[in-house]
Order: sequence, then structure tokens, then C-alpha cells
Amino acid sequence: MIIDANVQPHFRYNAEIRKYLPAAHRLRSIPDVEQQWYQAPGGNYREDLYGEHYPGSDRDTVARHLFDDGGVDYAVLNPLTRGNIADYLLNSRICAAVNDWLLDRWLEPDTTNRFRGTIRVNPEDPKGAVAEIERLAAHPKLVQVGVPMQSREPYGKPVFEPIWEAAAAHGLPVAVHINGGNGVDYAPTFAGHAHTYPGYASFMPLNYFVHLATLIVEGMFGRHPHLKFVFTDGGYDILTPLMWRLDTFWLSMRDQTPWVDRYPSDYLPAHVRFCSSAFDGPTDPGQMQRWMDFSGKTDLLMYGSGYPHWSTCAPGEAAAGLDSAQRDKVLWRNANELYGLTEPIEAGPINERSV
Amino acid sequence: MCSVDELPPGAMRLVDVGKFGVGVYNVAGSLHAIVNYCSHEGAPLCEGLLGGTNEFAPGEPGGLRRVKDGQIVRCPWHNWEFDITTGQNLADPKRRVRTYRVDVADGQVYLNA
Amino acid sequence: MTTIERVNPQTEHDEIVVAIVDTDVHPMPVSTDVLKSYAPADWVDKIWPTGNAVTPLPHFYDTPDSYKTMSMRVDAHPPGGGFAGTDPDYAAKQLLVDAGVSIATLEPMCDAQLPQAEHVLKATYNDWLADVWLDRNNAHGRWRGSIGVSAQVPERAAREIQRWAGHPYMAQVLMTPQTRGIPFGSPHFDPLYAAAAANGLPVATHLMGQTPFELIPIYPVGNPAHWHDFFAAWPLLYVSHLMSLVFDGAFDRHPDLRVVFVEGGFTWAMPVMWRMDRIWEARRADLPHVRRRPSEYVREHVRFTTQPLEDADVKHFREYLEMMDLGDNLMFSTDYPHWSYDAPAYAINRFPAAQRERIMRGNATALYGLPPTVTALPGEGPAADVSFE
Repeated sequence: MIIDANVQPHFRYNAEIRKYLPAAHRLRSIPDVEQQWYQAPGGNYREDLYGEHYPGSDRDTVARHLFDDGGVDYAVLNPLTRGNIADYLLNSRICAAVNDWLLDRWLEPDTTNRFRGTIRVNPEDPKGAVAEIERLAAHPKLVQVGVPMQSREPYGKPVFEPIWEAAAAHGLPVAVHINGGNGVDYAPTFAGHAHTYPGYASFMPLNYFVHLATLIVEGMFGRHPHLKFVFTDGGYDILTPLMWRLDTFWLSMRDQTPWVDRYPSDYLPAHVRFCSSAFDGPTDPGQMQRWMDFSGKTDLLMYGSGYPHWSTCAPGEAAAGLDSAQRDKVLWRNANELYGLTEPIEAGPINERSV
Repeated sequence: MCSVDELPPGAMRLVDVGKFGVGVYNVAGSLHAIVNYCSHEGAPLCEGLLGGTNEFAPGEPGGLRRVKDGQIVRCPWHNWEFDITTGQNLADPKRRVRTYRVDVADGQVYLNA
Repeated sequence: MTTIERVNPQTEHDEIVVAIVDTDVHPMPVSTDVLKSYAPADWVDKIWPTGNAVTPLPHFYDTPDSYKTMSMRVDAHPPGGGFAGTDPDYAAKQLLVDAGVSIATLEPMCDAQLPQAEHVLKATYNDWLADVWLDRNNAHGRWRGSIGVSAQVPERAAREIQRWAGHPYMAQVLMTPQTRGIPFGSPHFDPLYAAAAANGLPVATHLMGQTPFELIPIYPVGNPAHWHDFFAAWPLLYVSHLMSLVFDGAFDRHPDLRVVFVEGGFTWAMPVMWRMDRIWEARRADLPHVRRRPSEYVREHVRFTTQPLEDADVKHFREYLEMMDLGDNLMFSTDYPHWSYDAPAYAINRFPAAQRERIMRGNATALYGLPPTVTALPGEGPAADVSFE
């Protein structure tokens, strides 16, 4: 079996989202569905996917590419919402519109029952985010909550706690994904803006570590035993050296944050997962099997194609060099355990949507 | 090693015995001894600051409460916390330092090392 | 404070073989008045305005019990009085004799808000360092220094480098990594790099002070609240700079440039080399100015100091270092007299046997052009060669 835990469905055109916005917001300017400050030269998406439809925008095409051609059994759809725009209330309406669109265009009509989805929320609006989770959590095809990588506060800070609490109460992992768009963001690297696209693309995913470190040190994982975070942009190679630091410094710093009652890396198995990426992994495939043991990555990693991104990764690429047990875990077991995909789905109510 | 009066509560005396020495502490009236060698990188542990530590107290402002005053020595280098009465590192009890028995007889302190 | 006196055999030998090179040591002026005496008179009031409160906590993230420890080793304050790192004789005793370091690179830390003031402050520190540590208290020749320069004014930095080039004990250039949003690969730094490379001086970077507030690095997804997670993530600043050096073509513009990342860890280099290589292979058309594979630039141009070492399981740690295969790029450091000091005896055991000699002395010796022997101090052993097995 193969589970693809990271697919980004796209709107066909800008106006498509407006239909799902409430009337009060329908005349507002919102980010273009292609908006991204750090565009990849030549296009963000796989060249061969620009054609009759915008890449990733046609359900049948995506289904054919993933399920028929690619051999994937389930795909988790995690749409983008194009940035942490200044008006956080409008941003929450955009998230709700995207969620309704996802249900309407992708999940409800999917008779193959292979697509799953994400409840996108805006962490800058904790009340609105909790309300959105409560609105949609019961839908059996929505398997996680989605938030951007971009933030002006790391996710361990207490302002976000009600959101994570709601997600955990419903058994929903929180998936973090770079959400480039029209956001009011800090510079993407620690040393300022990147001056090349590769400089941006190679660094940006590594920012997950600050979210992760604060989730541990602020006690968020400690207070919420069932809370799980999925870092969908990869960056898991650097997990080992940075967790070694977090573990080592804990022995010096424990008395400032004594609610952290174990080595920080002891929180990983129960609380953290990653999606695979095209930029992680030893460049020497002979090191891959042994490398998976470091930081217990065999149990943390889930295949994620990133379709339709230009760096889309086929299952075979993600599994290259792994032994058969590792392969199974990465290609489906870890995702299945997290999302419960092979459990039978009960028929659920069609959810309200705005028209 | 010395008379009881020379080791009042809160005091520490360093005894030159073994490879690294041993620090003998009077913690609120009871005597304890630990090796003068941190189990991390070998710092002279007994030259570190003596004090207490913080425990998690959700009801307190800031979530912290000060406890075990006079019982905790922090390594002079990386500030790892060790409970003098047990030799255990507060974060990871497996990173402990060796302790020694201290006896008092006829007003004299005897270190068994 | 009690100390244990050990009786050492007093051997009269002139020279010892260089066994350990320490690439990160922090001297401090005995007092601000002493430092001021090296500054131009018309700048004294500008750089040290009267009436400023002296904060006991100069850092925005405080280390354990730092009101008492001042972020120093508690046992490093000279018994005769004074602050840790202010007394060259006591530093020589603790670091060179007791800890067995043969040669140490001194890296003073300072910064100022305004560019010209920072330039003058750095030059002042250079004059003080050269006088007190490299000249008057360096009869043994075992201290090396850093030419501090302001990253804000690279043209002036180039002139300051020229001023000191050729000094027998200035071994490198030193600049902050907190560069107010300008990554290291930017052409902004070209005059500085050109002057350093032309004079065969590596450019080292080490975190500086944090008093001008704009030096607080704003982490891209916001800042942690505690030193613990803040400093665990700190290497990502160096990662950002290294990716810029490679992808913005600085090493192509400056083929003789060597960069030293100090006190930022080094184990992160392996995943970063993989990432850069993978993206370079996928996006070469975006990088016409980057002529070589990124990991090759790292191996040729970059060095890392080892402190603070992670306390991971030693077998896994050594295995990791063997996989990483940067035995030619690592240089041992203690960070004396700071609290996060790594002892040489602890460190040497952490490295794979085959890399030990290079890490403890060979790489630094090659980079800085250091001699094979140095003057022995009273209490040091005979001039036999050292084994790193």
C-alpha cells in the first residue's frame, strides 16, 4: 500500500474561491491563488502539469496521476491559503472558504474514497480557528488541521494553546506547511532575505525546528499527551544535530522550565511526524538505512509527494535505499497509524457551506 | 577530617583524597559528601554554587516554586544540578556522582572514602 | 574558594610540542577605563556615554543563574581579584598549563549601534588586545589574536585588516554573524573578504553582544522565550549564512577566502551539505554563478569550531562524525572562560580516533600557520610528541 500524506490541490482560477466566501467578504481583495513571494523561476509546479487545467486543480487529473499512474492508495490533500494576510479575520474566512471548497470540489464527490483532507485554520485568530475545528472535525474525510509554517510567534507559545487543544481533543494532528503568499512575515532565513530561489527553498523548511523546540520547552506537548504535529516540508535530517543540542542544554536549563520532565527528544515518538521531501536524505544512498535510525526517523517519516510542486517526489524516490521494514513504514504504515485510513468510514453529514 | 564546629550548616569543606577530592557539606544539620568531579566533563563540582532548585508548581505565578535550598550544587561549568544528599542529577538521575558516607563521633567528622 | 594544590615536577624544558590548539577563547579588559585608554579621545564620550546603567545581564537570553555566574565558569575568576578572562597569567595557568592547551586564539566580543562608532570600538579593542595579550603578556608566544572588524562598514573593515596584516600574532579577522539582515554571501561584504583573503587571514564569526536591540536575531517564525530553545536553534543563523555564501557566489568571487564558524556547533553541516547539493542539482539553471557542488565549497572554504559539544551517546556521535567526514574542517575549542566550556580531555574522547589529531591541532595549525612547538611554561612536561589514540 502507498499513502501520500502531502498533496496540494489548487483552485482553477481566482474567482473560484469567491463563491465560498460570505457575502460580507466577497468584495475584499484576497491573495491571488498563485501568490508567492519566492516564486520558483519557471513556475512553482511541475512543468508537465501546466496544460488544460491549472496544476493540481482538476480532481480527475490528480486522481489519475496519483492513484492510477503513481500506485498511491490514499492521498491527504492540504490546500494553501496564500499567506498570513494582515486582516486575521478575513484570513479566517479565507480558510473556511478553502475548507468548504475542498469538501465541495474534492472530498464529497470523490466516490473512490481515496482523498482525505485538511481543516485549514488561521493561528493568528485562535477563537476563529477553534470554531472552524469544531465546525468540521466530525467530517470523516478531514483527517488533520492545517496551519502555515509562517508565523510571528512559534507554535509552542501559549496564545495558540486553545487551537492545539481542540485539534488534540478531536484526534486530529496539526500539519504545518509552508504557505507562501501575501503574508506579513519576518524574513525567511535567520540572516535576512534569501537572494536566490535555491537559497530560499533550501532554508525555509528548516524553520520547523523553532516551532518544535518551543512546543517542547513551553510544555505544550507535556500538557497535551495526544497532540501531534506533522512537519510536511521535510527538514528532518537536521533534526538529529539540533535535538542533540536541545537534549544537552536541557541539563543546564531545566530549572527555568521544570515542566519539561524528560529529555526533549523523548517527546518525538508520540508527538512529531514529518513528510518526506526531495531535499532530505544522504546524497550517498548507502548511508540511508543507517541514517534512518538516528532520532528514530523510521517511525517518524511519512511519504509525501508534494504534488504538484516542481519537486514532486515519486514513492520510489522517497523509499530509495530503505530496507523493507523501513519502506513499509515510510510508504504507508506510519501514515496509516496516524490517520487511521484503512478503518471503515461512516457516512457523515454534509457540512454547511456558504454560497 | 575536622571538628563538627568547623562544618556548620551551609558550609562545605574540600578534602584532598582520591584523584579529585571530596566535598563534605552540612545540609541543614546533616552531613553529606560527593566527589569533586562532575559526571559531564570533569569540572570541580564542589566549586560550584550551592543553592536550591525550581520545581513545577502550576498554581504559583510563573509556574515555579523554589525548593531544596542548600541541598543542590550546580556544576561550576555547565550548571548541571546535583542533589548533594543523593548524588543524583536532577534532570537525569542516571547522571549521578559518587557519594560517600560521613560519620560524626566525639564531635569529630569522619569521611569514609 | 579552596583549591587543591598538586605538586608538579619542575622540569626545565624550553619547548613543548604543540598538542592542542584552542580556537575560541575570550579575553576581557580589566576595566572599561583601561579599554578607553586605547580609544581616540574624541570618541570616548560617544562610545561610552556617561550615565549609562551597567546592566548585569547584557544578554537578552540569560544563562543558568546568570545574575551570579555572569555566564562564566564559576571557577575562572582570578583569585587575586578581577573578572574571568581579564588576567593573562591566570588564563595561562588554567587554560595552557592545567588544561593542556598549547596555543589559543583570542576573540574579544564587542559591538556598537552606529557604524562608525562600531568601527572605532573594534579598532580600540584590537589595539588593546595587541598590547596586553599579544605583546606584553605573550613572551611564551602562545596567544593568537583576532582583528575585530565592523560588519556594518566593510570598506573600513578592509582598512583595519590592512592595518594589522603581517602582525606576528594576529591570526584571523573576526566579525559578528548578527548582520542586521544582510547574509554573508552578499556583495556588501566583498571589500572585507577581499582584504582578508589577500592577506591570508580567515574570517571568523562568533556571536557578539546583544545590547543594540537590532542585533537580537529575529527568528523567522518568531522567538523562543528561553535560552534553552533559543540557543538550540542558533546554528540556523550559521546555516543561513553558509547557504548564502554558497548560493550567492561569495566563494566564487573570493577563491582564497576561508570562513570559520565559531561556537555554533558543526554537526548540522552534514544535513546542510546534503540539502545544498540536492537543490543545486535540481536548480542549476538558477545558479549560473555557482560553479561547483556546494559541499565542495564547504570542504575547501569552511571551518567549524567544536564547542559546545553535544552530549549524545558517544558511539552514535563518533559514528555520525565518521559519516559526516569533515575531519579536515573541525577545530577544537573550549570557549574559556565561559560557562559552556568544553574540557580538552572530554572532547578528545568524543571524536573518532582517526580524526583526533586533525581536530585537536592539525587543522588549526594548517589554517593559521602555527608552529609545531611552543615555549613551555613552568609545570609543563617535556618535549615528547603527543599521541591522539
